[in-house]
Amino acid sequence: MAAEDAATTLIATDIRQEPFIDAQVITNLPVNTSLNVLKRQGGWIQVKANSGEQGWLKMTSVRLGAGAGNNKGDSGFSSLFNVARSGRSGNTGVTVTTGVRGLSQEDLKNASPAPDAVKKMDAFPKGAKEAESFASAAKLQAQQVDYLVESKPIAEATKSFFGGSRK
Amino acid sequence: MKRLIISILGIATISLGLHVHAFDLSLDNLNVDKLMSIAKKTQDLKPVDDKGEFEIGSGVAANLLGAAPLVQDEKLQAYVNRLGWWLAIHTERPDIPWHFGVLDSDSVNAFAAPGGYVFVTRGLLLRMRNEAELAGVLSHEISHVLKRHHLQAIQKSAQTGLLADIASIAVSDSQHAELAQKAIGAGTELYSRGLDKDDEFEADRMGVVIAARAGYDPYGLPSVLQTLEAMNAQDSSLALMFKTHPAPQKRLELLDAAMGSSLDKYTSQPVVADRFVKVVGDYAKK
Repeated sequence: MAAEDAATTLIATDIRQEPFIDAQVITNLPVNTSLNVLKRQGGWIQVKANSGEQGWLKMTSVRLGAGAGNNKGDSGFSSLFNVARSGRSGNTGVTVTTGVRGLSQEDLKNASPAPDAVKKMDAFPKGAKEAESFASAAKLQAQQVDYLVESKPIAEATKSFFGGSRK
Repeated sequence: MKRLIISILGIATISLGLHVHAFDLSLDNLNVDKLMSIAKKTQDLKPVDDKGEFEIGSGVAANLLGAAPLVQDEKLQAYVNRLGWWLAIHTERPDIPWHFGVLDSDSVNAFAAPGGYVFVTRGLLLRMRNEAELAGVLSHEISHVLKRHHLQAIQKSAQTGLLADIASIAVSDSQHAELAQKAIGAGTELYSRGLDKDDEFEADRMGVVIAARAGYDPYGLPSVLQTLEAMNAQDSSLALMFKTHPAPQKRLELLDAAMGSSLDKYTSQPVVADRFVKVVGDYAKK
């Protein structure tokens, strides 16, 4: 299985029979358990532990990749779109060599303005009509959805894990 | 801002004046938090008119494009603009002149500028797997424009009535140009300094909703955050984004808390991988 399919638990977490918060708990996995990701559904991923247990957990309770010290180095990406993770199609097999063109604080400071480039953007497709045919070509259907209210995480105990997860 | 707080303090002191003796309420005892929140609310009001906003926005965009040019691929740019407009028409500002662009940079990042400019780097785009992920990132940036986060940050850093002066008809043309340049400079600096963390969390919360409104699986944005979390934090292509944004895991944690299961009914909406892979793959193969 590819390295991209690996995940590690960030917190001690229950794995469940189904991707629902009130589904039956299969077992509790300790923090730092290595897992293989089988697929994703909504905010849930189906995983298999090395010990053989299989079930669902919230995608936010894991770090994707093998352990904390995933050492990909500065070379960045080597095979784009090959991240065939969690049952997604998206594999074009396109390989692109590592790019070198950055965008740093220095670049921003030293740049001279490019107003002509901004003007060029006026020629890009725009407006509701373009957007609607774009949407219907992919059978996208608009929905009425209210904005979310801010909510603090319930699990105060998980704080130290999250806080310490990245320096 | 300072001026505003002082004037609010003044009003509050006057209006509380009658009670001062009865409750021995000195200035120290005033609820400064409350006054700050009043000041914040006042600040949330439109800080400049649309015309001023577009002027500042196109200036900031010109500076950004000076540092990282647009990708020379009309099909790719057209694709991102059609998608961006489809998202934008499901928001409270469907009619402003939205412009979307892919930047020719391998740095992993996305940007918004006042007035409806939204950019994503090719470095970030090429790490995505489907349209729902791109929709999530664009919606996050669109939200910064909707909430005028950059304008508010410019106003805050100026500590004067900079934006009001720009909108004022009382200033001369040359004064106006000078003030606009000042705001544009401050706006460009935000790309190095970053917005308030709370603005980023708010844009995350709005971003997933806008993507769901547009008919996408709302978990596109969380998926991109997972991708960022899984990358090596020392990777130089992440340096600017990590400097200017809260850690992806923290964003995921807060987003998860806000989403709960309320958007679960939209997770069966499409992620549209085919079209994404076709258009972005055609570009990447060049």
